[in-house]
Amino acid sequence: MKKKMLFTILIAALALSACSGGGGQAQPAIVRVGWAGSPDTLNPGMAILTEAYTIFELVYDSMYELNLDGSFTLSLAESANVSDDGTVWTFKIRDGLKWHDGQPLTAEDVAWTYNLYKDTPEYPYLNGYYTPYFDTIESTPDNEVVLTLTEAIPNIESQLVFLYILPKHVWESVNKTEYENVEMIGSGPFKMAEYVQNEFVRLTANKDHFSTPPKVDEVIFQTFENQDALVQAIRTGQVDMVTEMPNTAAESLKADENIELVVGAPLAPGVTDIIFNQLDPENCPEGGICSGHPALRDRNIRLAMAHATDKQQLIDVILLGLGNPGLTLIPDGLGVWYNSSLTDYEFDPVKANQILDDAGYADTDGDGIREMPDGSEPLTFRLNWPSDSINAPRMSELLAEMWGAIGISLEPQAVDPDALTAQCCPAFDFDIMIWGWASDPDPSALLYVYTTEAIPTGSSETGYSNPEYDELYTNQQVELDFEARREIVWQMQKMVFDDVVYIIPFYDANVQAYRTDRFTGWITDQAKVELSDITSLVLIEPVK
Amino acid sequence: MNRTRAVLRKTAWSFFTIVFVVVLNFFLFRVLPGDPARAGIRDPRLNKDAIEVIRVRFGLDKPIINCFDSLNPVKVGNCAVNPLETQFFIYAKNLVQGELGISYHANRPVVDILGERLWNTILLIGVGQILSIILGAAFGVFAAWKARTSLEYTAVGISLVAWSLPTFWLAILLLFWGSTMGLPVAGKATPGMSSFPLLQQWGDIAKHMLLPTLTYTIIYMGEYTLIMRSSLLDVLSEDYILSARAKGLNTVQILRDHALKNAMLPLVTVIAINLGFTVAGVIQIESVFSWPGLGSAIYEAVIRRDFPVLQGAFLLIAITVILANLLADLTYTYLDPRVTVE
Repeated sequence: MKKKMLFTILIAALALSACSGGGGQAQPAIVRVGWAGSPDTLNPGMAILTEAYTIFELVYDSMYELNLDGSFTLSLAESANVSDDGTVWTFKIRDGLKWHDGQPLTAEDVAWTYNLYKDTPEYPYLNGYYTPYFDTIESTPDNEVVLTLTEAIPNIESQLVFLYILPKHVWESVNKTEYENVEMIGSGPFKMAEYVQNEFVRLTANKDHFSTPPKVDEVIFQTFENQDALVQAIRTGQVDMVTEMPNTAAESLKADENIELVVGAPLAPGVTDIIFNQLDPENCPEGGICSGHPALRDRNIRLAMAHATDKQQLIDVILLGLGNPGLTLIPDGLGVWYNSSLTDYEFDPVKANQILDDAGYADTDGDGIREMPDGSEPLTFRLNWPSDSINAPRMSELLAEMWGAIGISLEPQAVDPDALTAQCCPAFDFDIMIWGWASDPDPSALLYVYTTEAIPTGSSETGYSNPEYDELYTNQQVELDFEARREIVWQMQKMVFDDVVYIIPFYDANVQAYRTDRFTGWITDQAKVELSDITSLVLIEPVK
Repeated sequence: MNRTRAVLRKTAWSFFTIVFVVVLNFFLFRVLPGDPARAGIRDPRLNKDAIEVIRVRFGLDKPIINCFDSLNPVKVGNCAVNPLETQFFIYAKNLVQGELGISYHANRPVVDILGERLWNTILLIGVGQILSIILGAAFGVFAAWKARTSLEYTAVGISLVAWSLPTFWLAILLLFWGSTMGLPVAGKATPGMSSFPLLQQWGDIAKHMLLPTLTYTIIYMGEYTLIMRSSLLDVLSEDYILSARAKGLNTVQILRDHALKNAMLPLVTVIAINLGFTVAGVIQIESVFSWPGLGSAIYEAVIRRDFPVLQGAFLLIAITVILANLLADLTYTYLDPRVTVE
């Protein structure tokens, strides 16, 4: 009897579960993105990692949207007016905007958020760089935000694009620096559903978004600590898209008929650089060691090394071809700001030798290494790189070979990144380093690195100092005419390129991949590749 | 020496070792070159004020210990700083209150980060250890019982290979094999499973555990088989086993009543030591399978130079190793009375 009853219950349970499972409802369209990181924090004031910004981009709105071609469009505001002197900006916020919790989003939220960023020095990235020109921010009863600047600046869009608008009613009552913000009430095209740090972020679509309601229902970002696992996961269909992969995997993924590879400049373009310590001992900052080799202060040496550097070989060997030769710190991914009119120094060891001969660097003792013109020191340079760099060891070998051919020898050594930071700047206790920078959408941040002012702050790695350049930097910061500013930015790049301040071996490309049998509509034909960007994620739809 | 005194002495020693580790752990991270406020974040946007803000936030603006400068013999006696305001005192005070500082990277208390991760690791190595102990001991007994037959040679051969396999390599191999079988290759659970019934969630976690646990089990099973076998062979060659056999006991009786308990001693030692070290040793398995445990937390903290997390994790590992050893010692005093005799 008992047995029979148990059996009946079991059958009933099975029938019930079958019903609930197959009720004819369409499966939700869930995009699974595999990436190798995880946001450091969801507090927009404290975050550093790009993964955090990717999530902010999807969950929050800001005044402007950064497009994949590098341009900006208004987002939360329907119009922006600027006063004649360029210092007062009035943004008319769209009517009827709503937070994810249903509360109205108004100009008051926007003004409150900008004031928060401006007045919180514990938000070092926003506070120090994006708000120093903010004087006052007020909201008006007409749902307008009036932003008064201390002086007119040309790049207001790039100052506002990373200032995500937060709900006043949530943030008013929390500790601004310690708030973990895991509930993340935003207004963007996706809502935070679930977040487990270092495991995954699950976002659901905000189908009521005012401008870009997504077509899919959910996006899941899953963390893979191991890039081989990431590649295997897209191959077997455990994820639909991967934002990064080792270059070595590109070739084999390309062969898979269900996988499409996208290669191009990343949304936040990076640049790898070979840094010459050319600091004039007179400019040695307080506490500096300034032990750089004197020869590196001579442009002839740097020019000869530039002519002896085979960039294509570096790209082919190190990046397996997935990158472009570089010119200055401003990468090609910055679009109009990149000075495409410059012609690179041709790879010509004969010419390089000639330059060194003419400048008086001869190999007097016949050991294959040239000496200083006064015979005091051989051209032997210390070459350092951060020990966590994957590419630098191979690059140092190739450089030693290339520069060895023109009588310059290297003492290559990997250094702990902390020690290297201490060695670097403003200590200037090195000869040559291999390192890199990530870029802002606006060129100002990277152009600053070449200024004299950046020497004592530790941002200048080369100690390069050129009053003419410094003046141009100041000018471009206040030049309101776009074309005129671009002109100056190009001129600055030409100046530092001619002075061979750095050798830029390459601009790394971004390699991403998606499965063609799951979702369609990914954006692949833009200047920058970022499939996990809002631009792609709101457009894609399931393959029918 | 009586048993109580032996236990007290061992416990006291363990306590002093922990205090030593606490102190060492503090200075280890402070003698490293570089400025933690700038490490890991190279950004031209960071100006001097911003770096100072970070320094103040993490207490790095305070002196490491009082009179640190005056360690220079010329300056001895010049200690103007309030000793309660030094980094070391704050560290010690926080530690007593169960605080391990705030992660530079995640901006969250280290205790929270390590706490969530620790349970995941315990789950993984708990199951892995139990499986490898059971299988290893069983194979070990089997190999010793079938000594000098081809079965023993096979068992020893397989165990040797398993034990000497590089963990990382075996994990990658299993990852490739598992992924083609449709097994999940990363994480602890399928994202979005939290809305499902508990039973289904557990099933999902079990599925995710399969590959990492298998890797772990294979590696440790080999070790335990070899130890169990050699220890049992030793015991089986003792005179009292011969006399037991002379009494007419059969093999099963001899193993069960006379040999196994004695042969377990070396295995207990190794298991105890392993328990301490596997927290650190599991780093490779966790990072291959993106298992969100303590091992991968350490791996990430190393990459991101997140010293408070590393400092906390090292302390945790050191304490686990010390306690595991103490536990082994204490178990010994009960299993083997000779241990208490000096």
